Amino acid sequence: MLRRREVLAGGALALAGLGSRRADAAGEVVVGVLYALSGPSAQNGLDARRAFETALEVINGNYDLDLSAAKGDGLEGLGGAKMRLVVADHQGDPQKGRAEAERLITQDKVAAIVGCYQSSVSATVSAVCERYGVPFVCADSSSPSLTRRGLKYIFRPAANDEMFSEAMFDFMDAQRKQGKTIGSIALFYEDTIYGIDSSNTQRKLAGERGYKITADVKYKTNSPSLTAEVQALKNADADVLLPTCYTNDAILLTKTMGELGYKPKAMIAQAAGFSEKATFDAVGAQLQGLISRASFSLDLAAKRPSIGVINEMFRKRADRDLNDNTSRQFTALLVLADALNRAGSTDGSRLRAALAATDIPGTRTIMPWKKVIFDAGGQNPDATPVLIQYLGTKFVTVFPEDVAVAPAKWPMNA
Amino acid sequence: MTMQALAQVLASGLLTGLIYALVAVGLSLIFGLMDVVNFAHGEFLMLAMYATFGLVLVSGLDPVLLMPAVAALLFILGGTAYLGVVRFAMRAKANQGMVQIFATFGLAILLQGAAQYLFTPDYRSLKTSWLGGHTLDLAGVYLPWPQVFGALVSLAAFGGLYLLMTRTDFGRALEATREDQGAVALVGIDRNRVFALGWGLGAALVGLAGAVLAVFYYIHPGVGGAFALIAYVTVALGGFGSVFGALVAGVVVGLVEAVTAVILPPALKSVGVYALYLLVVLIRPQGLFGRL
Repeated sequence: MLRRREVLAGGALALAGLGSRRADAAGEVVVGVLYALSGPSAQNGLDARRAFETALEVINGNYDLDLSAAKGDGLEGLGGAKMRLVVADHQGDPQKGRAEAERLITQDKVAAIVGCYQSSVSATVSAVCERYGVPFVCADSSSPSLTRRGLKYIFRPAANDEMFSEAMFDFMDAQRKQGKTIGSIALFYEDTIYGIDSSNTQRKLAGERGYKITADVKYKTNSPSLTAEVQALKNADADVLLPTCYTNDAILLTKTMGELGYKPKAMIAQAAGFSEKATFDAVGAQLQGLISRASFSLDLAAKRPSIGVINEMFRKRADRDLNDNTSRQFTALLVLADALNRAGSTDGSRLRAALAATDIPGTRTIMPWKKVIFDAGGQNPDATPVLIQYLGTKFVTVFPEDVAVAPAKWPMNA
Repeated sequence: MTMQALAQVLASGLLTGLIYALVAVGLSLIFGLMDVVNFAHGEFLMLAMYATFGLVLVSGLDPVLLMPAVAALLFILGGTAYLGVVRFAMRAKANQGMVQIFATFGLAILLQGAAQYLFTPDYRSLKTSWLGGHTLDLAGVYLPWPQVFGALVSLAAFGGLYLLMTRTDFGRALEATREDQGAVALVGIDRNRVFALGWGLGAALVGLAGAVLAVFYYIHPGVGGAFALIAYVTVALGGFGSVFGALVAGVVVGLVEAVTAVILPPALKSVGVYALYLLVVLIRPQGLFGRL
């Protein structure tokens, strides 16, 4: 009995697989959204979902905002077709990500996939998308290597960790020019592609620009204890600590530093955990003056009203402000909608060509970027990063000077 | 490395180890009693942490005062898990061991999913407590009060458990049941009742661990996983079913982990623990204090 049912189900799936990807009769374009909705990063996935729902509202509705794809109902280039999202859970596991990407492409017939937060998962998902010729818009994974594998179907509107780390070192150089002493730095990073790529870039930049690395600590992500690791950081007592962590480890690192009586002189974080509300709710008092790299600056809302509008729309759904991650997710879907409009089709290769030809001025996004264009590898070279500092209960943009609203408090623990 | 740094590593390892022991002892107790490995042990810990968090929110009392209440809630949870799930799994005529494993594994997934649904996957943290954020400074060696307190609770729990098992009728009934499940029925001991109380006791102990951890650790539906893995190797190292083996093994695991992180890159710190376990398997497969 069970067997017959399996055979029937299998047959149905095979038949479904014969259909081609296109906007169906109802005028619908299906986009896959692939995030961790369970496991340690589930909250990121839930917030991402709300960011995408906000973007979907802007795309499908008619909004008088100076943003790409906001005006007009639905996707104008596709006769006003509505976009529909299919959300899938990769649990933070690259192998589950691979399987879910296959399912989204073969069964849900998605025109593109957006994801995946964890760089390790974006690596496997982008490989699957390449094989099927379905564009992958990498919203928020920042490992530089993702867009250096010769893939044709990956597009990353936001900066990578090399660009982010360069901004950090530019900032430190600027502090040195002002006469501040920054001799040594300490690296602290998790043991997957995100942490490893980040540390490789930072190690290289430190060598080039003359910063001595006094501690280079790779730790196991989701560890029950970081005492020994923090002890090594404390012994090194570098002028600047550069952590690369997801949320749970960011909280544990900060708590453990407090317990061991270690107050780093200054911290510049590779965002992720250090841009999440949960981290600051838990240990915000100890992170006063923390600087994080970011793609997003809520301060900019004063100059660009659309940012405030979108933030309110998001806040209604998620009960928190847009942050580094959710702003990139929102923007990624708008970039995709812009390309769908220009492609006038959901065909993989035509959509790819439209994405490759993207040219959106930064002022028509919610980001502090120069513009959205893509180089041959699919990276946006003009996604200018900013540095933000946690002061009081919010982040203030402190670098680069042209977008800064206040000078940085440096070092954070004088 | 200075003497002070070495002293810090050993002190941190010892405190962590005593807390690992407290996390593991309930698992060992249940295994010793009825040869069932509870794969939902980490989820019991997670629920204890949420219970602490919730009770603090509702009552406004300090988590230290709420520990007995958390232990009591977990006692009920443990007893219910036995009476509601494990008891039936033990009735399987064939592959009883596998049925038990998958029953408790299923319970783990269910509890984790329910926690994510009810409490959301946001990271929670107790912001204010008497102990939280305070550190004892012994000549440059930092001992965080929450961990010191946790270590003391662990020692007290082991002390209490020792008295319970040697000085009370219930303890003797537990000991007798683990010696010979069939024979106890002849002397009028209700096996099911002893098992349910054993599960309750095991869960109450992990409840204490959860209440201790909630003070200084983040709270999340998946938080049990990392600790459960440590608990399994602790129980295996100490000897399956040996309650006091769990105490020694917990401390050994804490110390080995701390020292490994100094010698090897910290990302490999659990390698030392498992290398030691494999070594113990070669020499004494039943674990340090396990019975043959």
